[in-house]
Amino acid sequence: MKRTITVRMMKKQENRAGYMFVFPWLFGLIVLGIFPILMSFYISFTNYDMISPMEWIGFENYRILFTNDSLFWKSLGNTVYHVAIAVPLSIFVGLALAFLLNNKVKGMSVYRTLFYLPNVVSVVAMTLLWMWLFQPNFGLVNAILDPLYDLFNIEPLGWYLDQDLSKITLILMGLWTSGGSMVIYLAQMQDIPTTLYESAEIDGAGWWAKTFHITLPLMTPSIYFNFIMGLIGGFQVFTMAYIMTNGGPSRSSYYYAYYLFDKMMADNAMGMASAMAWILLVIVLIVTVIALKLNKFVFYMGEDS
Amino acid sequence: MKKLLAALIVAVAAFAAIACDNESTDRITIDFWHMAPVGTAAYTPTKAIITAFNESQDTYFVKGTGFSFWDYWDKINIAISSRTAPDLGLSTLDDSVSRAEAGVLYNISDFLDADPDGLELDEFYDAALDFATYQNDLYALPFTATVRVLYYNLDMFEEVGLTVADVPTTWSELYDVAKQLDIVDGDGEIQRLGFDPSYGNATYHGWLWEAGLDFFDENLDPTLNTQAHIDVLQWMKDFNAEFTRNQLVAFGDANTLLGINPFAGERVAMMVETDGLYEIIQNANADFTFGVTTIPVPDDNGVRVNWGSGFSIELYDNGDNDTASKAGAWEFLKYMMSYDVQKEMSEVNGWIMAHKRAMSDLATETGDPILARLLVEVEYARDKVYVPYAPSWHGNDWQPYYNNFLSGEMTATEALAAARANYIQKQENYDATH
Amino acid sequence: MASATRYKSRKTTKTITHLILHVVLVLCSLVFVFPFLWMLFTALKTPAELLRGIQQFLPARPQWSNFITAVQAIPFFMYLKNSLIIVVLVVTGTVFSATTAAYAFAKLRWKGRDKWFIVMLATMMLPIQVILIPTYIMYAKIGWLGTRLPLIVPAFFGGGSAFYIFLLRQFFKGLPRELSESAVIDGANHWQIFVKIMLPLSKPAVVTVALFTFMGAWNDYFGPLIFLSNPEHWTLALGLRAFQTQYGGQYNLMMAASILIMLPTLIMFFFAQKTFIEGIKFTGIKG
Repeated sequence: MKRTITVRMMKKQENRAGYMFVFPWLFGLIVLGIFPILMSFYISFTNYDMISPMEWIGFENYRILFTNDSLFWKSLGNTVYHVAIAVPLSIFVGLALAFLLNNKVKGMSVYRTLFYLPNVVSVVAMTLLWMWLFQPNFGLVNAILDPLYDLFNIEPLGWYLDQDLSKITLILMGLWTSGGSMVIYLAQMQDIPTTLYESAEIDGAGWWAKTFHITLPLMTPSIYFNFIMGLIGGFQVFTMAYIMTNGGPSRSSYYYAYYLFDKMMADNAMGMASAMAWILLVIVLIVTVIALKLNKFVFYMGEDS
Repeated sequence: MKKLLAALIVAVAAFAAIACDNESTDRITIDFWHMAPVGTAAYTPTKAIITAFNESQDTYFVKGTGFSFWDYWDKINIAISSRTAPDLGLSTLDDSVSRAEAGVLYNISDFLDADPDGLELDEFYDAALDFATYQNDLYALPFTATVRVLYYNLDMFEEVGLTVADVPTTWSELYDVAKQLDIVDGDGEIQRLGFDPSYGNATYHGWLWEAGLDFFDENLDPTLNTQAHIDVLQWMKDFNAEFTRNQLVAFGDANTLLGINPFAGERVAMMVETDGLYEIIQNANADFTFGVTTIPVPDDNGVRVNWGSGFSIELYDNGDNDTASKAGAWEFLKYMMSYDVQKEMSEVNGWIMAHKRAMSDLATETGDPILARLLVEVEYARDKVYVPYAPSWHGNDWQPYYNNFLSGEMTATEALAAARANYIQKQENYDATH
Repeated sequence: MASATRYKSRKTTKTITHLILHVVLVLCSLVFVFPFLWMLFTALKTPAELLRGIQQFLPARPQWSNFITAVQAIPFFMYLKNSLIIVVLVVTGTVFSATTAAYAFAKLRWKGRDKWFIVMLATMMLPIQVILIPTYIMYAKIGWLGTRLPLIVPAFFGGGSAFYIFLLRQFFKGLPRELSESAVIDGANHWQIFVKIMLPLSKPAVVTVALFTFMGAWNDYFGPLIFLSNPEHWTLALGLRAFQTQYGGQYNLMMAASILIMLPTLIMFFFAQKTFIEGIKFTGIKG
């Protein structure tokens, strides 16, 4: 009897504590966040052009996007393609870098900093690097691959100038900034108790066994994090295309967020852009909610398995 | 916990400190936004111009704030849309009518009615004034004028035995001269290009205008579907048809990789560019002889015209009935458009200003033949039309089809048909929402 | 005897592995370092050398004075002070609001938690551009335009920190529940558990969040551009953009200033990653 009351009291207390801890964020969302969010939702039903007074036009923006706008579908398709390839690939590369940089080797601090460099250098510098590497005629990558092209007797790849390869090229270029997710993996690696490795070594486990039975499973929380964030961020990708390809060739790298940006900046069609934003939100939300189901494969040390 | 609390208290104290540092003056403050931020060469002289106005009277105090050219547009557009725009600011002339229509600009004709001697309108180009006119009233003033001309490198001309007399005036002359100036090395890599109609600031609509054609008719319906349109587009590509697409792309990408204008970098002998290139060449102290001239026109019935544009200066109406600062803004506008200030602004920023007499006097005084030649071409400048359903008709809307054509994915006919279909769809969608 | 040989061969294998590692690391570093080198060499060029572009990768005579010119062209120390004010407050605010919210999402059971979690993720799914104007209008109405408040206050209330909340949640969830349970039995309240157990044990994650926030606030020019009107409040990132003028701009000065702006973030990174030393945490706790 007494025991049940304590448990109930503790639950009540925990409930209250939960609200207390989440309060700053929740308060910010409700007080500072809600007006802009609701207003952008309202704008999506108007023809707002950013200067004239807005007029309510009902679902017209949504109707047009779905039925009379070929670029809407094209850009959505490009984006889905990007997400499908970039998300797993960047998780793989981020992890690989983290493994590489988690060794106890002299000067590791310096290497880590160097690998992180592309995340802080100016965009102009990165653009020049990419062009220097991937330019089909004089770029370094094609120069290195030249013997292979000769061997298999194929045309040199056109990279960002080829509409079939432009998205892949941009994804490869994006890997330069994997340093960001690498940091998160590195941080998570520090969570893994060394005692686990020690006991595994006593059992005669080698590098492979330790990696696949200890490290990777215990890193699932951050892999999962980068996966979900990769999805959310991937659907909003456009900076790289904006800088390198202008969405081309033949709109092959014209992403959804790029089109949204153009609607806003080039066409002054803020109402239409807002409608696109809300459609995107619904799409990403559905994808994310499905992806959240994968949570059951994530191993949190703190939870009972 | 204590540390966190301490941090919070410090933070709150900092907010309080930040929140109440307001300056006060008993004069009426006029906000003016320009494009000479702290750190640019133009900053100090711009500030001096503003200070001179502030010292000339004691009713108003003009507070000038400069933003980088690339940031200025975001800043002012957001301010206009939320009705927190400065009293005066620079904007783009070709779409000032759209702001007039939206009611965010003060009617300059009203000021002129009350103060007829405030401005001498005949000092400015009629075409520019037309662009700022909405329902027979003036809503903005032309502040600067951009002009497009043909730059030619005289050293390269001399190298192949040509002189100033050979500077081309027609498309066929342009072709003949350009071909003498091309240099290709043994590996087939282009080292120098005589001319390319798609380089620099040469545009398809620019060439169309010279041929007496346009993208839109007077109702703003897209044209583009005649054989003449196809011919001009085809001409642009055929100009360097003896090179492969790969050769041209490699040359173009190498220019980008250089990070400099290919004419200033002495990689092309002739190029269509704006007056801005003159500024770049001067700043870089480039050591080659060059000249500017009218962009060559078609051999038959060519129209002498170039795509001009410019900044406007506008008085923003934030709907707050602030008559005091409105009057001050008008005073400062008159000052900014005056002969002396226009001359100074040109020297400071390297811009061609809208004041005709100020500019021609400046050219005479400095004895600058390039400036004098640029001013001649301003007379033939034509701004692009503002199309509400496709404000970026020459940019975002046209570029993909243009690039598809240049890369050989589409023929001229296909590209123009596809572009036209896109304009029609945009027009349809715009009409459905307005 | 046998064990000695095994020990020796193990040592040689280790040396060889390290050697290979170094080779791989150096090779990879080259591609990662290239853009930085380009920036550095550009910063050291004369205007005439800029014209020759990448054909002349190395400056003939390094113009170290470009760094001084860049610093002197703008009120560098005023901008630096402004950047620091914003960055310090934003990092403090974000770390505070993100860690507390993350603790609630990771370790506490409260009504509606899972629904709010989805809402939190959803706040990241709306492209920021479409809420910019409404946000601006809101701050104009409150009278915060022209002050630093729009850049600082939201940080204390989780503005823009959904990413960090989610990240920290993942880390907090990995902390053994027994730790907090035993603390509860010892009479500790949730705030004490949070401050005394959760935060210290998640140091790498909290440091990561602080680092990311620092870099975000330090490099952000758009927020200051839009919300600050008085140049006396401008930050380094915004002030630096003066070198980007309509016609080309002074690339060498721009890169010199960019490098000066980058350096603090690199130094921060260097020290932050030092906390990532293997297994600091559970030594003493049974696995």
